[in-house]
Amino acid sequence: MVKYNAMTQEWLDAWKQKISESKEYREIAKNWEGSVSMIVNPDPEKGIPEPIYVFTDYWHGDVRDFLICDKAKAESAKFVMSGDFARWKQVAKKEVDSTKALMQGKLKLKGDLTYVVRNIKTVNKVIDLLCEIETIWPDEA
Amino acid sequence: MANGYAGRFLHVDLTNGRCSPFTVEDDRLRKFIGGSSLGAKLFLDDYPLDADPLAPESPLMVMTGPMVGSGFPGTSRFAVCAKSPLTGIWGESACGGTFGPELKKAGYDGIVITGRAEKPVILSIVEGEAKLTDASGLWGKDVYETTDLLKEADKGAKTLVIGPAGENLVRFAAIGNDKGHFVGRTGLGAVMGAKRLKAISVRGEGKLAKADEARFRELHREAIQQIKDSALAASLHAMGSDANMDIGMINGDVPVKNWSVGEDFDLSSALSGPTLSETYLTRAHACAHCPVACKRVVRVPDGPFQTEEGPGPEYETCGTFGTMIMNRDLAGVIKANELCNRLGMDTISCGAAIAWAMELFEKGTLTVKETDGLDLSWGNMESVLALLPRIARREGFGDLLAQGSLAAARKIGGDTVDAVVHVKGLDLPMHDPRGFHGMGLAYMMSNRGACHLQHAVLATEQGMASWPQLFPMKDDYKGTTSEGKAELVFHSENYGILGNSLSICHYLTDCLKPETIRDAFNAITGFGLDFDGLMACGARDWTLKRGINNLLGVTEKDDVLPKRIMTPLKEGAGAGSVPDVEKLKREYYALRGLDERGFPREEKLRELGLDELRERLYR
Repeated sequence: MVKYNAMTQEWLDAWKQKISESKEYREIAKNWEGSVSMIVNPDPEKGIPEPIYVFTDYWHGDVRDFLICDKAKAESAKFVMSGDFARWKQVAKKEVDSTKALMQGKLKLKGDLTYVVRNIKTVNKVIDLLCEIETIWPDEA
Repeated sequence: MANGYAGRFLHVDLTNGRCSPFTVEDDRLRKFIGGSSLGAKLFLDDYPLDADPLAPESPLMVMTGPMVGSGFPGTSRFAVCAKSPLTGIWGESACGGTFGPELKKAGYDGIVITGRAEKPVILSIVEGEAKLTDASGLWGKDVYETTDLLKEADKGAKTLVIGPAGENLVRFAAIGNDKGHFVGRTGLGAVMGAKRLKAISVRGEGKLAKADEARFRELHREAIQQIKDSALAASLHAMGSDANMDIGMINGDVPVKNWSVGEDFDLSSALSGPTLSETYLTRAHACAHCPVACKRVVRVPDGPFQTEEGPGPEYETCGTFGTMIMNRDLAGVIKANELCNRLGMDTISCGAAIAWAMELFEKGTLTVKETDGLDLSWGNMESVLALLPRIARREGFGDLLAQGSLAAARKIGGDTVDAVVHVKGLDLPMHDPRGFHGMGLAYMMSNRGACHLQHAVLATEQGMASWPQLFPMKDDYKGTTSEGKAELVFHSENYGILGNSLSICHYLTDCLKPETIRDAFNAITGFGLDFDGLMACGARDWTLKRGINNLLGVTEKDDVLPKRIMTPLKEGAGAGSVPDVEKLKREYYALRGLDERGFPREEKLRELGLDELRERLYR
């Protein structure tokens, strides 16, 4: 299986493809509207010298832009999630549930929390599909 | 007098009408702090354990803690304690709202009520002066009407009130504080009713002395910032406790159809926090000194379940009057909640009894002949709403349910007991141990029977909070395993119980750093307790109440989960999974220092400084 370097455009493309190919996702996410960005805080010791900004966009079961972007673009998303690299890695490796990471303050969310809870199955499915990507993490490379 | 305390308690003997202040020595305050922990200590030391819960000599205690009245977030709580008329063992129920801080301002840390008045009375306490007045004109009125009348008479008063259910000794009668807050569990409203005490009204302007005011203010600011940063606090503010409904259904937490079905997403979607916010919510409401404001205020403008603006249902009520009875109409839940509030009944035990009856109705064990003509088909809210006043007034079939689901099943007999989902006589709250094995152990071992609030297991096992600085724990526990859960439950009890002694809200405990709570407690009291000292207070509290229950007849045979919970579900996140009860119990007993009978060992009692209890258990 092909492996991808985490937080790169290739990694995002693979994730986007996984989501696009999921019939289950299309069904679950038919009500979801809007973009979600991920901000990865810098951690030079883990191979993240600068913040990383990721923009992803979803619309009624379709997947739109999946981009490495700049700060302004990331902050324009409907939902902005931020956290340390180690936390994002735990979520992407399914070591910590994303909802639990939010509640424990390990990830931060800007945006309508009610909408997220209402659509929690969509959020979980997107994360599940991310976990299926074979990923090379910078601190493990 | 220790900082943080008003410095005196009030004893009211309703038989002779005497109100007498008394003090509790500092040594007992340091060991038991306050709340239900101190209440249990007073109960053990000073009152007859073997008396009937509804007898005049059985005490009813209203207790606060040293943080109550300080203004620190989440410290509006107070506990009401007594021997439970529902379970026959130790009973307690904590409540937020306004009463606790006002009682402290009125000059008392707690009230102990014994005796029985000749006719209904109100206990009013104004600036330390207590008096009893005739309440004959209020007897029979509901909680909302009574509260309004008391506030008309004294605008600034904070009130505790029972409704018809308490007056009629319904075994799960509740006590209402200012309409929106309820002492729900273990039937303590019936104890108040047996004493013919319709209401307690308090008002005061006293100020709480703190050991280090400047440090307290600093910590208060830190706490407010932590709440602003907390996703859990944001979730509670936006959706109330019912935020759990959607996520809980995915995770196998929410019971469906009297615990017989594993998932139903149409139900959870119809009854969820987001749905409530989008439909009937008019505003959020807060307990005293709470910036979170998790309480819901709702209005159903029209239709068969029309209600005026008033207190809305919590998650538990959306479970018992929603998913448990297959009712998909949120307006119906709101109406049932309002009726239970007015009549003064615990929505968990009341809804659980109705779910049990609906299951028997479906099986044909109960028919319209037994139910006085009510069609108790699943989800029939018209029948539920007709039944609630009959329960409160103990009329016909309502009288059977008013005894609680376990007593009702024992009366009918046969296998109807298998459909009662309880531990030690207390109906399970709306969290399924098949999805979360740690919660199963917590239910087995909670001192008031199946309980989700006397500990912090809900928060730690479900990942709402993580406190590795307090005890070894993972960031993420798998719900459907019993591995590592005994240790998690043991520590989470010691910390959660502490919240009860300090009288701080569990939600706030989950939102705030333990260091901030510890330091604020010390800034108020000057006790200088570290985490080990505080956790030892939690362990002492659990063991004290366990010992009281042992004296009341509880043994290891009572530490079980009901048959329904030991039956695997076919669907949902908890499908095929049941807690490994033997493993959990074995590991937990070792951690708690319990012997094979389920009694605390003598050395454990010595270690915790519970010598009086040791003498009672081992003499």
